[in-house]
Amino acid sequence: MDGVFVLKGKLQEVYAQHSIIFDKGIQFIMALLAFYLINNNIGFMKVAASPVVTLALSVICTFFPVLMTVIAATALILVHMYAVSIAVLAVTAVVFLVMYIFYFRLTPKMSVVVLLMPLAFAFKIPFAVPLAYALVSTPVCMVAVVCGTVVYFMMEYVKKVAPGLSGKGLSGIMSQSSEYLKQVFQNKEMWIIIAAFLIAFLAAYTIRRQSMNHAWKAAAAAGAIINVVVNIVGDIVLGVHTSYASLAAGSVAAVIVGLVLELLFFAVDYTKSENLQYEDDEYYYYVKAVPKLSVATPEKTVKRINGRRETEIIDTESVRRRRDREVHGDRSPARTAPRGNAEHSRGTSRPR
Amino acid sequence: MLDERKVKLMTKLALYEHTQGKEDFKISEYYRKDYAGMHIFSSVIWVTVGYVCVAMLIAFAGFDALMDNLSNSLLLMLLMIFVVGYFGVVVIYAVISSHIYNQKHKEARMRVKKYNHDLTRLLKWYEREKK
Repeated sequence: MDGVFVLKGKLQEVYAQHSIIFDKGIQFIMALLAFYLINNNIGFMKVAASPVVTLALSVICTFFPVLMTVIAATALILVHMYAVSIAVLAVTAVVFLVMYIFYFRLTPKMSVVVLLMPLAFAFKIPFAVPLAYALVSTPVCMVAVVCGTVVYFMMEYVKKVAPGLSGKGLSGIMSQSSEYLKQVFQNKEMWIIIAAFLIAFLAAYTIRRQSMNHAWKAAAAAGAIINVVVNIVGDIVLGVHTSYASLAAGSVAAVIVGLVLELLFFAVDYTKSENLQYEDDEYYYYVKAVPKLSVATPEKTVKRINGRRETEIIDTESVRRRRDREVHGDRSPARTAPRGNAEHSRGTSRPR
Repeated sequence: MLDERKVKLMTKLALYEHTQGKEDFKISEYYRKDYAGMHIFSSVIWVTVGYVCVAMLIAFAGFDALMDNLSNSLLLMLLMIFVVGYFGVVVIYAVISSHIYNQKHKEARMRVKKYNHDLTRLLKWYEREKK
């Protein structure tokens, strides 16, 4: 386990050194995936659905705040909806407007969840997003999760029925709008998934905030189990058929995401936790202190086996005197070096 | 000679000015009540628009059913639900907006106060250097 924490420490160091590159890289990948997903699923306007446009939009959005990616994705969806029909465009635009007015106007930062939810659905891990936000954020995100799920189901509906949409004139527009709204908002599968997400979110959030040991792991596991159970019960009661295998796999993947988040944001050492009790004039306090886990990155020391070594300092003056004595005997006058010129040189020995 | 503490303080101030400071300075130009009141008013307008949009969507979705069972009593009941629902939603959003924008103003003011305090420290340093 220590290796994982050492790896985390190294990753943090690398991230700290190149944070701008990592941030922009992640933003680019997210934008690219979002635009690709939109163009791949509902790319009814051929010009806007081309890979060049996808790439260009992604690159442009990378240099702006994340909110810009959300706005661009919304605009791209509306462009494709326009290619399908005016009715579909109008209904989609009004739904987006309602989402903005009632929620995103107050918390603009949460709008990224609307982008992440369809991405998570595309990767068959939809529960990963609500679980992640339950672990690191507050229940305010639940509205954004619902909005993201609705957007995904709107796109799914348009993808399925767009080729068969017919009817012109005002009556055609009315019937298309009515049908679109009915099919999306009376979709039992969508409401089951939304109910499962909300219940699982609240459960995970509540457990995560408890002071018990391994609260994050328990929250992730409980959230995943509740998500599966609510989906199965909803399917049985409302007679909807969903793939249980993908539901289970998605929940397991969400738990893994939860564990990774715990490693990144809540690494504590429960074995060293302490329970304290004290009081003041008004209260009794029962405090549980859990130390944060920090493993120091080991510094590598290189031991040279056959490297060059320093030897002791040699007094060259005494060596010279000894040599003179040996060569000339005691008769020759002693050679003395001028004062202040005595030199100490560092010698090196040959490698052993 | 560079003073490290002064450089750090100046960096901190410049960073704040270019990030959160921009919005905070605008917010702190208003009194809290004015700021919250202004946003509550705009929230009410936006919620009215949103509410009409939602009502339209519901009307479109249930258009056929409405036409099949159209009667005066049904219309009156729907109108009452619409009006009561509208006031309910407006009150809820006004309360939420009031809480959010009061909090936002409070936090912005605190950050601006801290900024002013740091700025005063910096000015004192300069005055000391001049002497």
